[in-house]
Amino acid sequence: MIKVENLKKRFGKTVALDDVSFEAMKGEIFGLLGPNGAGKTTAIKLLCGLLKADSGTITLDGRTNPRLVEVRMSLGMVPQALAIYEELSGRENLQFFGRMYGLKGQYLKKRVKDCLELAGLSERSRERAGNYSGGMKRRLNMVCSFLHEPPILLLDEPTVGVDPQSRNLIFETIENMKRQGRTIIYTTHYMEEAQRLCDRVAILDHGRIMDIDSVENLITRHGGPSHIEAELEEKLTEPDKIRRLIDENIRFEETKIKFQTTKPLEALAKLNKSGVRFSSLKIQTANLEDVFLKLTGRRLRD
Amino acid sequence: MKKILFLALKDLRILFSDKGNIFFVFGFPALFALFFGFVFAGSDSQPSGMKIALVDQDKSEFSSSYISLLDSSEALRVVPMGRDEAIDSVRTGKLFAAVILKNGFGNEFETMFTKDESRIEIASDPSRKMESQYLQGLLAKAQFQAMAEKFTDRDWMRNNIGDWRNEVANANDIDEKQSGLFLGFFDAFDRLLKDVNDENFQTHFDGDMMNFATTDISREREGPVTSFQITFPQAMIWGILGCAVTFAISIVQERTKGTFERLQLGPIGRAHILGGKGTACFITCVFVVCFLYIGAKLIFKLPIRNLPLFILAAVCVILCFVGLMMFICTLGRTEQSAGGAGWAMLMVMTMLGGGMVPLVFMPSWLRSLSHISPVKWSIFALEAGVWRNLSFVEMIKPLALLLAIGATAFMFGISMLRRQDK
Repeated sequence: MIKVENLKKRFGKTVALDDVSFEAMKGEIFGLLGPNGAGKTTAIKLLCGLLKADSGTITLDGRTNPRLVEVRMSLGMVPQALAIYEELSGRENLQFFGRMYGLKGQYLKKRVKDCLELAGLSERSRERAGNYSGGMKRRLNMVCSFLHEPPILLLDEPTVGVDPQSRNLIFETIENMKRQGRTIIYTTHYMEEAQRLCDRVAILDHGRIMDIDSVENLITRHGGPSHIEAELEEKLTEPDKIRRLIDENIRFEETKIKFQTTKPLEALAKLNKSGVRFSSLKIQTANLEDVFLKLTGRRLRD
Repeated sequence: MKKILFLALKDLRILFSDKGNIFFVFGFPALFALFFGFVFAGSDSQPSGMKIALVDQDKSEFSSSYISLLDSSEALRVVPMGRDEAIDSVRTGKLFAAVILKNGFGNEFETMFTKDESRIEIASDPSRKMESQYLQGLLAKAQFQAMAEKFTDRDWMRNNIGDWRNEVANANDIDEKQSGLFLGFFDAFDRLLKDVNDENFQTHFDGDMMNFATTDISREREGPVTSFQITFPQAMIWGILGCAVTFAISIVQERTKGTFERLQLGPIGRAHILGGKGTACFITCVFVVCFLYIGAKLIFKLPIRNLPLFILAAVCVILCFVGLMMFICTLGRTEQSAGGAGWAMLMVMTMLGGGMVPLVFMPSWLRSLSHISPVKWSIFALEAGVWRNLSFVEMIKPLALLLAIGATAFMFGISMLRRQDK
């Protein structure tokens, strides 16, 4: 559906993207995770043809020129900035952008109504967008790109500066779009968002892709073991048996055990099967933050 | 084309949603036209001539009659005062000039023409030479009028003829033949004045020194009939300037907010987006011109000499400023910087072009410099339709200049925008 090969882009002496390649399948949410300045927005702008790459190719649904009208009609881009007209109402914004995509008549009316419902703005659709809360503006900003029902969605940090309630509504909308079979490229610097939404994630730093895989595989590969701390109902009588079963480095402290493993669920199942009973359990698993730290030597929010 | 119209309608909707924009585009130009129209027109109850100080040191019958002649002129407002006060009033700028009638001003007829010693002195502001020259003309006119009144006094004439006769008879530098001719003329003129009866004297010596035949012809006026014919074209320019800057800022705003990019993502090109902006600017300018024209026509009965020419001029002026709008939007990357730079540029153009001070009051070098200002050509073109009554051929040059300036600015603006977006 979307194929990017050896993409390079420079702004003067600054390398924004350096030999970036990835592929997003139909119906997949593909995440670009990286800190500010990693090159996420540049990648999105290149994908939708707002910028021209210095080298490399972009293939969208088999077509290599994103400036073609047919390609643009198949794209919906949610920009990071609030690209709406605050002087117009929510409804007028949608009507205007709909007309720009050639929508008209009953179909335009239906799409405007659907998008207002999707954004939870139906009741305040006639109010000036300038009077909306930050979250409402974000939601309107997002649905303006869904009006023409594009099969490919490019979302550039769509949750920046929104309240948790609006964030959840945006997540639900994106998940709904995925269920409809749309291909979604989602950029973010929030690892929680990438973990929740994305099927696969590319870790981007200084314009380079450090690794691409599913969240689980990335954590397995780069996140390190999970730390497990368990309080047992009674002291173990055969600790050596448990050592052999789980890990030689397992530590016993009266009724407490501590160990590290890359497969925490498997280890806990084994313990349970061998008759160990837990009164409390604490599992600290690795996350994308750890992956990023391992791959780049710094934290996502550094 | 439909999409360009949708874009333009959106911009008009946004423009009219802001009361501030409405005031600057429509209200301010209308107020400008009204205010300066009334200022230039003056008031019926107040004299509007040049106010000058008059110092009468002569205190003669002739000086009194001279002063009353000056005072009766519509072009002057005479304020009698002492010499020191008069000089001080000019020095402090309260009055533009002081006229001093020295001792002996009315004693002798020759004093009016002698080069030896001036009996009339003008003290004026050196920076206002044009008005000073105008004042000298008014003073000379009054002097001749006073002299003409003297010729109606038979005794005064005979006394002076006697004096002139004695001067010629006693002069050593005139040869005998010439002297005889003058003396013969003076004797004959004196006899005529002595013998002519009162009726004939009044008929032939009273009144104008020269006999003019007058015919009443309904003449064609060359200049404007009312001051509003000057202020309304200027007001239209202010309205059009307001539109140009407002829409230039709106382009910058679209770029900073991201709506420009969002529009570019759609199945329309940059040309559509900028075309929509230009169309909206053009439509608003047309509204402004129509609004001011209708207001001027209904309220002030503003006469428009040549309506088709006025419409043609207005269209060319608007196209010129739509082009300039595209250039102004590239002058800054934020609304503030583009707006500031745009107004600064247009202010200079307006000052040079006579949008603030009429060109006639500018020094000649500044008037030459004004040729580079599109505001000058715009005002000229609009005035051509309102009161100058030029022919179409005479209008080709200003209209072509306006279109050329607009097209150049438009192309330059688009190329700058393209470069900035790379």
